[in-house]
Amino acid sequence: MSAAVSVDELWRERPRSGFIRGSLIVFTALIFGCWFLVDVDWADLVSARRLSNLERFLLEIRPFPLHELPWSWSVAWQWAREFMGQRGLEAVLATLAISLVAIVLATLGGALGSLLAARTIAAAEPYLPESRAPSRTALWTARSLVASTRAALVGLRCVPEYVWAFLFVALVGPHAWAAILALGLHNAGILGRLGAETVENADPAPLRALRALGARRSQIAATGVLPLVLPRFLLYFSYRWETCVREATVLGMLGIASLGYWVEDARTRGHYDTLMLLVVLGALIVLAGDLLSTVLRRVIRRA
Amino acid sequence: MTLPVARRFPFRTPSLVTAGILAAALWGYVHLELRLGDLVPGSGGVTVAAEFFSRAVSPALVSEADFVPSGTPPLLLNAANAALLTVGFAAAAMGLAIPMGFVLGFFASTAWWEEDPAGARSRTLRTLRRMAGPVVFGSTRVLLAVLRSVHELLWAVLFLVALGLSNAAAVLAIALPFSGVLGKLFADLIDEAPRSGAHALRAAGATNSQVYLFGLLPLALPDIIAYMFYRFECALRSSAILGFFGYPTLGLYIRQSFSSTNYGEVWTYLYALVLLVAVFDVWSFGVRRRILA
Repeated sequence: MSAAVSVDELWRERPRSGFIRGSLIVFTALIFGCWFLVDVDWADLVSARRLSNLERFLLEIRPFPLHELPWSWSVAWQWAREFMGQRGLEAVLATLAISLVAIVLATLGGALGSLLAARTIAAAEPYLPESRAPSRTALWTARSLVASTRAALVGLRCVPEYVWAFLFVALVGPHAWAAILALGLHNAGILGRLGAETVENADPAPLRALRALGARRSQIAATGVLPLVLPRFLLYFSYRWETCVREATVLGMLGIASLGYWVEDARTRGHYDTLMLLVVLGALIVLAGDLLSTVLRRVIRRA
Repeated sequence: MTLPVARRFPFRTPSLVTAGILAAALWGYVHLELRLGDLVPGSGGVTVAAEFFSRAVSPALVSEADFVPSGTPPLLLNAANAALLTVGFAAAAMGLAIPMGFVLGFFASTAWWEEDPAGARSRTLRTLRRMAGPVVFGSTRVLLAVLRSVHELLWAVLFLVALGLSNAAAVLAIALPFSGVLGKLFADLIDEAPRSGAHALRAAGATNSQVYLFGLLPLALPDIIAYMFYRFECALRSSAILGFFGYPTLGLYIRQSFSSTNYGEVWTYLYALVLLVAVFDVWSFGVRRRILA
């Protein structure tokens, strides 16, 4: 067999999936077709009116004490430090606190959801299907429980955090709880789905053994499933915490006391120097969150 | 035979990490001065909440506004149109972010400079590349970090105050952070791909671009495609939210209907959003499952 034939054969035997091929075609069509949907005028973006606006903006993002003065790092630093002492630090801490409380609540909710949505443990006869045939009602209850939990998780995660927060601010007022509930619900939907997969993929042997010893469902969950899935859960936790920090910075724009609150405040007052400082601060929080969760993942993976 | 159950130390790292996380969340709870009682809305809030949530089962099918200006499209048509524009903004942003991500991802990977490539023919060229490589790599990594660490809504606010309301600015606001995320991921995936094929190609005399395009990229491509689909779903959510800043996506109508207390309409738009994102969620999940399986 010559090399050319084997390459041809390899090419013919490559894994192919009609679904993925079709998806790619639709994806490409969407990306090219959207330019007919949305009226995007790039020329307008650099029109004289917008450029003069931009010029004014660039003048006004200079720190206030340096307005129409030559640049000086020490004055700018002094100004930034003053702002940090007044509001900046508190805004950063509030943002972090919101993200932490929210992600822990989301993980608890997601863990509960993942147990109810996993076909292995939320089955009529968990882990030992051969012991005796479950009744029709038990089968039906288990199936509808899994299906309805999955539907609820989809609903939770398909509403973006910002929309949840908008609704909660209208209902409970601009309290930190609004941001926490918004982040918590959206992430519970995501973590619940990811967790359900993890629970379903957990090694069934020890769980079967527990069941055979007569453990109840809750006992299997607490003593068998939880230790098995905990490292995976922590990985997902750290990924989602990263996005939580990111979203917590902007949820404040709805009136909740996080960084975004001061962004919106600076925007309405036209204090573009403060606005710029806050954007930089937001970026730094996100980078710090990234770094911390990367370290966390490394610790978990090494364990 | 010893059973591998007993451990010297009773607590394992996952438990310790969990304890640390719980302590951090407790700090947050105390710092924010949260009380469970604050979760219960005041009497006014309860009325609004009851009114709002009771409409969940009966979303509006026609406009609920007292005065409907002539020429306004019917509610359902408007919802469909807003959903279409939500997809439009997301797709336009992805159309920019994907090529930008590929270009930035190339420069942010170590594959093109770390292993002294055979392509540099003269000694000067080789020295130049050896010096330029790390510099370009490092600065691209910094650029990617800057792009992705600024939230798309903050980009939107910046563009709003600097340039005013403009569809092009909205597309850019999503495209910039997304190109940062995609670029970083593409670079990481290309660097994680096994390099044996690339070495073989190089030994056979392939040029640098051939090594990259045929030896490295194909290995990372499945993961890249899977991730692109997931990011499209994220772009969809961001695009919907940009409506809150005045762009004609679903968020705009959710805000408008809510502030004029037409709660039935709010639910119509919310269900449109959930349906839209759910379709993409299921789709992107299906693609990922097939690719990564």
